[in-house]
Amino acid sequence: MSRKSAFSVGLLVLGAYILAAILSSFITPYSPTGLVGRPLDDPSEAHLLGTNDLGQDIFSRLLYGTRATLIIGLLGALLSVSVSTFVGLVSAYYGGGIDEVITRSVDVMMTIPTFPLLLVLTIFFAPSIFVISGLMGVLGGTQGIRIIRSQVLSLVEANFVYGAKAIGAGDLRIMTRHILPNVLPLATVKFVFAAQRYMLMGVGLGFLGLGDPSVVDWGQMISRAYYNGGFALGLWWWLIPPGIAVTLLSVALALLGYGLEEEIDPRLKRSAAI
Amino acid sequence: MNAEYLMRRVFYSLLAFMVSVTLTFVLLHLMPGDYLHSILPYLAEKNPDAARMFREQFGLNRSISEQYFLYMANVIRGNWGYSFLYGQPVLAIIGEKLRWTLVILFPSTVLSIIIGMAVGAYSGWKNGSKTDLSVLNFMIFVGAVPSYWWAMLFILIFGFHLNLFPLGGYVSIDALENGVCIFDVLRHAALPIAALTISSVPGTYYLMRNSTLQTTGEEYVLTARSKGLTEMEVLRHHALKNAMLPMVTVIALELAQMITGSVFVETIFSWPGLGLLTFEALRVRDLPLLQGIFLIDTLMVILANIAADFSYPLIDPRVKVGENV
Amino acid sequence: MSILAINDLKVQFPTPEGLVKAVNTVDLELEEGERLGMIGETGSGKTVLGLAIVRLLSGAEVEGSIEYQGRKLLLLDEAEMQKLRGREISVIFQGPNSLNPVLKVGDQIAESIRLIGCSNRKDDKKKAVQAMEAVGMPDAELWADRYPHQFSGGMKERAMIALGLACDPRLIIADEPTKGLDANIKVQVVELIRDVTTDKSLLFITHDLSAAAQICDRIAVMYCGEIVEVGRTEEIFSNPLHPYTEGLLRSLPIMGMRAIRGASPSLIDIPSGCRFHPRCDRPCENCARAHPPLVEAESNPGHLVRCFQHDRG
Repeated sequence: MSRKSAFSVGLLVLGAYILAAILSSFITPYSPTGLVGRPLDDPSEAHLLGTNDLGQDIFSRLLYGTRATLIIGLLGALLSVSVSTFVGLVSAYYGGGIDEVITRSVDVMMTIPTFPLLLVLTIFFAPSIFVISGLMGVLGGTQGIRIIRSQVLSLVEANFVYGAKAIGAGDLRIMTRHILPNVLPLATVKFVFAAQRYMLMGVGLGFLGLGDPSVVDWGQMISRAYYNGGFALGLWWWLIPPGIAVTLLSVALALLGYGLEEEIDPRLKRSAAI
Repeated sequence: MNAEYLMRRVFYSLLAFMVSVTLTFVLLHLMPGDYLHSILPYLAEKNPDAARMFREQFGLNRSISEQYFLYMANVIRGNWGYSFLYGQPVLAIIGEKLRWTLVILFPSTVLSIIIGMAVGAYSGWKNGSKTDLSVLNFMIFVGAVPSYWWAMLFILIFGFHLNLFPLGGYVSIDALENGVCIFDVLRHAALPIAALTISSVPGTYYLMRNSTLQTTGEEYVLTARSKGLTEMEVLRHHALKNAMLPMVTVIALELAQMITGSVFVETIFSWPGLGLLTFEALRVRDLPLLQGIFLIDTLMVILANIAADFSYPLIDPRVKVGENV
Repeated sequence: MSILAINDLKVQFPTPEGLVKAVNTVDLELEEGERLGMIGETGSGKTVLGLAIVRLLSGAEVEGSIEYQGRKLLLLDEAEMQKLRGREISVIFQGPNSLNPVLKVGDQIAESIRLIGCSNRKDDKKKAVQAMEAVGMPDAELWADRYPHQFSGGMKERAMIALGLACDPRLIIADEPTKGLDANIKVQVVELIRDVTTDKSLLFITHDLSAAAQICDRIAVMYCGEIVEVGRTEEIFSNPLHPYTEGLLRSLPIMGMRAIRGASPSLIDIPSGCRFHPRCDRPCENCARAHPPLVEAESNPGHLVRCFQHDRG
């Protein structure tokens, strides 16, 4: 699969998921939380994917789950990339003392594993999807500061920044009009991959029982199916679809990311000498 | 070895650890709802001695700053508090469970490194070829599947349907009578190891591929070819050693990362390691235990970083300890 | 018989920006024991030519014929080509990165020696040290156990020469061996190459005309992918016939160091007619339209030149 088709396929599938998330209240046959059938019913015409142990329609819950998953992934990624970009930009641009302090702090923070910290922190805050996104975004953002910073450093040393300063352009102007557009491609790629990671982590947290109990969560669906004797009772229609849904979205985001990557960073290495 | 560098490294590591300890202290003591004091009665029920020792050793009735120093001193001494879930010292529980995690972690790290590097090197060497592209696409797919889903699939297919491996736990029921047999444990460990390995191979693969790719464009590779060596000889004797250099730091970190990654796999397989411990601790909000796990993870990352720093000069003759490459 | 016979050689690279025509119909012959200098600026195609002979170009389309002792190199399969490389035809590169930074220099030379079927490690190592001594490296045994980053530029080049000679090849292609070296080191390296190649066939690729003059019996001048003048060294210096050659001579420090006006042409958009005409200071009206062939000068049959005005005397 070439880079270009990977990009398109990824984008298409992501679009489908976003559409499902937006339209879910209109296209689901039932309310996702309503008790609309017999518990643990097999798939039928009335219930495309059957019902779960409480008698809720699984298909509706599956569609609704796209919302929470996408929000956590996209919001968390947005926050994370924003933090990385802002801090990396400021640190590299101003240099000197600020840079030293920020770099040293980042060095220390990068040694601290974010996932366990995230787990510990979720206990203290009300587990809403926004809080989870916020936590992931801030913690994850620190990891990316270094990369953005080094890219900005190479730009800052480029002549056009000195030129802009020479004609009296203000710092903010230089940062937003000159440097930022050059960092944006890298930031976009990081955004896509971050979205993938956070989306998976969000579903994972739901699986562990740390998710937002007020929303429909694929991780929670998988967990409940598994612990309610999913295999032994043959509950395929409950256990498998959420897993496939997560995997498909993850693959789509990965394809999107890889498709973007070489567009932005062409490292065609061929050992030719001219 | 440069003594000055050693000092700096140790200093930064200590600093990182102190930050983590401070963080856990803040969480434990300063969060609203006076968590500690409200939970202590429950610990007292389970193990009154533990509750008493907790109060004394951590000075729960003294001022906050006194408590902070006491906490720091305790942590350094190895007293990490008492678990509410088990009523036992945190470090002791962690120590016991850590062993089991390492049983599945070590083999999967080694496997992941070997497979990832071998396939990645070959893929990067043949960059652009059909083999490379198909392997790359395959790895993208494999890497996109979350670790918990791989675990589920493995249980489903190999445990449930094909009945080749057990569905979970670390020994079978017979152990109650016959004692723990190594072969039995290995059988139980097979699927968790497989799940952990397959989750981390794509990462190693991708990095090794990129590294090899960059190496192929180097001048000394051209020189090696001009000597009349076969492609395989050039790859093995010249390219690989250089391509592996950036991987050292990565591998060390990956080992540390895997510890956190094992939460899902162990939970699904009911493997009695740190991951499962984390899950249980989360369920009952056993904060001291969770923080102990957090500290252990931090410690592992720090050790991995130091190990990477010191092993780099062993491979790259251009670097002496203390130089930044 | 000539050891190397190149006929009608064309080398092109398809790139996203267009087809790069690096080498355009080159005919060249090298006698056994002869030392030929290939002079040209960067982008003239001389390095491509050198690498094409040993088939170490990737992504290139090569047409024509290259014969080594009568064997058609372009028709050999890779395994046969590998047998020739290093052993019969070796390349000496320039550049700070041509030696593997993580391997000891002595081991890298010993590796070549092992290829011609030497007995064991100790012997290979001894021979490698001898090879290093032969290129004038003091304390060779000590340095053989060191790494490239510990070598100076001049010493690295000596090591590369030792590497190139290790298997006693018959044909040596030296690709810009003096590039980037300090002036006094350059002198030493040039003398070294002159001494060690007295009984070998050498293709000396360089932009340094004076270095070539000290070593080579014949000189070929390349411009924009083709040969524009070929002749004995004394002839070229005393009686240059092509305006480009004249320009090169004038640009030497002892001759006045006057630059040739204009810039090297792109190898994708090649000028029409005579490729040098945009920079020539005495073009005729024909030069822009027609492409001059490589012909013998009347004054001297061994002297070939590609210019419509070569016989203006």
